[in-house]
Parts: sequence; C-alpha cells; structure tokens
Amino acid sequence: MAVYRRTSRPRYTLLLLILTSITLVTLDYRSDAGGAIAKVKGGARDAFAPLQSFAAAVFDPVANVVNGVLHYGDLEAENAHLREQLAEQRGQVARAQDAERERQALLDNQDLTFLPDIETISARVVGASASSLDLTAELDKGTHDGVVRGMPVAAGAGLVGRVIEVSRRRSIVVLVTDPSSNVGIRLASTGDTGVARGNGAGRSLSVELLEGASVAKVGEVVVTSGLQQSVFPPGIPVGLVKSKGYREGPERKGVTIVPVVDFARLTFVKILIWPGAGA
Amino acid sequence: MNEPRLIGLKLPFAMILVLLLQSSLLSEMRLGVVRPDAMVLLPITAGMLGGSERGAVVGFFAGILTDLFLQTPMGLSAVTYSVVGFAVGAMHTGVLRAAWWIGPVTAMAASAISVLLFVVIGAVVGVSHLIRPGLVVIVIGVAVINAPLSVAVSRLMAWAWPVEANHAFAR
Repeated sequence: MAVYRRTSRPRYTLLLLILTSITLVTLDYRSDAGGAIAKVKGGARDAFAPLQSFAAAVFDPVANVVNGVLHYGDLEAENAHLREQLAEQRGQVARAQDAERERQALLDNQDLTFLPDIETISARVVGASASSLDLTAELDKGTHDGVVRGMPVAAGAGLVGRVIEVSRRRSIVVLVTDPSSNVGIRLASTGDTGVARGNGAGRSLSVELLEGASVAKVGEVVVTSGLQQSVFPPGIPVGLVKSKGYREGPERKGVTIVPVVDFARLTFVKILIWPGAGA
Repeated sequence: MNEPRLIGLKLPFAMILVLLLQSSLLSEMRLGVVRPDAMVLLPITAGMLGGSERGAVVGFFAGILTDLFLQTPMGLSAVTYSVVGFAVGAMHTGVLRAAWWIGPVTAMAASAISVLLFVVIGAVVGVSHLIRPGLVVIVIGVAVINAPLSVAVSRLMAWAWPVEANHAFAR
C-alpha cells in the first residue's frame, strides 16, 4: 500500500497542477481587459519594473558584447549597405525637394492633410518579450502617462504596432510582425486597400488585397489605410512591397511586404493618441 | 533557519533571478529570430535532479511567473512546464546521470518538446496564431541554445533545492 502511494503521488500532483492551470486559462479567457487576471499581470509588471530596469542597466553591456560577436558579419554587411544607400540618398535629395514642393502645392489646393495632427507620447523601449513566440515590446509609459489599450505606436520609420496591455507604469505593444497582428493598409500608388498580417520575427508581412485587380510594384510604399473605425491613423508607412508572389486564393491577390521599422533596434517610439484606439 | 524554510526562500529567488536574466539579458541575445528560454530549464533541471513531482511543481510555479509577462493566456506556460518537468523527472531514474552529456542533451530535447507542447496546447485553447511560419526554426533554435544554458541553470537549481533537502522536505 505504501509503495502504491509513493508511486501515485507525482501523478496526482501533476493532475492537480494541470487542472489548476486549465482553470487559470479559462478564467483569463472569461475575464475582459480590465479583469482580475489582467490586473494581476499589470501589478506584477509594475512591481517588476524597477528590478527589470536595474537588471537591464547591469546586463545591457554584456548583451551588447555578445550580440556584437554573434552578429559581426551582419554589421559589416549592414555598414556596406548603408554606405551604398548614403550615396543613393544624396542623389535623391534634389529630386525629393522638387517632389516635396509639388506635394505641398497639391495639399494646399485640395485641403488634404497627409497625416492628421496627432498628439503623441514619447516612450522608451525597455524590454522585449521573454518568448520567441510572443512578438511584443515593453514601453516605459503606462496609464499614469495617459496610455490607453489600443493606441497605435510608431517609430521614425513607420508603424511599430498597437498597445495591447497597459499597467500604471508600463505598456506592451504587439508588433506588426506578430501573427496575431492585422493592419488595414493602402498601396501608396493606386490607393488599393488590404490587410497586412504578421508572419513572425524576421519575416515579411502577408498582404491580402481587397481589390482583385490591384497591381503592386515591387519597392512601393504601403501605408496604413485609416479606413472608418480603423485602429490606426491613415498614412503611416508600414512596409515596402517585396514580392507579388503571395496568393490568398483564386479570387484574391496578395503581396508580401518588408516592414520599414527595424524591430531589432527599437529604442524610442511614439504612442499616438488616436480616437480609433480601443476600437 | 531549517532546510525547508531555506528552500522556500532560495527557490523563489532562483526563479526570479532566471526571469530577470531572461527578460533583460537573454531576450536581447537573439540568434536570428530565436531567443533562449531559460525559464523552461527550471522544471527540466528540477526534474532531472529531483524526479517527476519536483519537476512538475517547479514547472507550475515557473510557468505562472512566465505567464505574468506573456500575452498568451495565464496558465498556458504553467501547464506546459508542469508536463515537461514531470516527463523529464519520470525519465531521470538511472538514466540521466550516466554521462555528463546526457543532461544537456535531455534539456535540448525537452526544450524542443516544450515549445511544441506550448503551441499545441495554445492551439487547443484557441491561441491559433502560435502556429506560424518558421516554427521549426524556433523549436530547433531554442533547443540548441538551451542545451549549454542548462548546465548553469542546473547548478542554480541544485543550490536552490538540493536533492537531500527534498527528502527532509517530504517527511
């Protein structure tokens, strides 16, 4: 009898732990964004924030050294690529100045605004997700600073993602590359709209174009559509068309786009105070 | 201070230390798109050192701690880590201490299984976006990076919850 009890106990323990975990999963699903579990998560994040900041300050130099060693080849290639780009950019500056004058004239004539005058909250990226399957970034601003769940987040180059969780001092942004992310987009040249979906870190986004006849050019800019009730304002660059090979189905065309934001090197971002947030 | 009470302090300390390392240092040390998953090494090494029950218990608490900082439902990592810790512990009898390399190799295999299990359980409870292109790369990457990391985590776990202390704890 004693032998039986000794061998069965771990199984009962495991069963109990599995049942407890499943109960937690169920509770998490049933509670809304402001539910008990979300509050516990937010509280834990706030409580951990000072420790995480301290650990980041201590370990950042170590991480930089290791990353430098791991990605030395990439850095060399990037340097060469940047030099090449700089040469190209010099040539483009003159053309851009002319185009800008033309664009400004068009806006003045048609009373259009390229981007609405949106208020922003500057934030620093203080952490990345602990998991390879969870493409998020942690920001150092929370409800205390006016951040609300659903707010869009952008960097200098373009769209970063959307705030999906917010505690008093911290907020979590799901990146546009996360497979759970959907962004309404528009092709800059034709104005055709579609939906961009993330495919994971380091991968292009898949765009399903809503108009079957859309023709996208490789290298063309894709921006947020900002259609009615959109969670993102219009006109924020999302990516550049990489290829037209992607097909959603017989009736729907698709393209793949490369995000304009370098998510591996995000440091500062802007949280946009946009009325569509939380929609 | 008696041994069980000391473990009650050392084990949470070890878990929080690994979590801090994971969220600050290891999450920045990406190899391609893959980050190491040091938290899953806690139940794996606990299972190796102390058997299935210890692996499951450490897995549950390490999982809860991890879930607090992930966007996936609370309890998903807990159930995954509990099962992985239990399975490693159940295998450990007489096998894992046969050679020095068996520990890291077991950690490698168990890490790969934990990622897959996380995705499968996630899909069952409705988190379908975990199934994604490049999942195989993540599974292999996490497994390969976790193998050498398991040596350090194993030492930490041996300090936090020594095998001898386990017997005293059970009395």
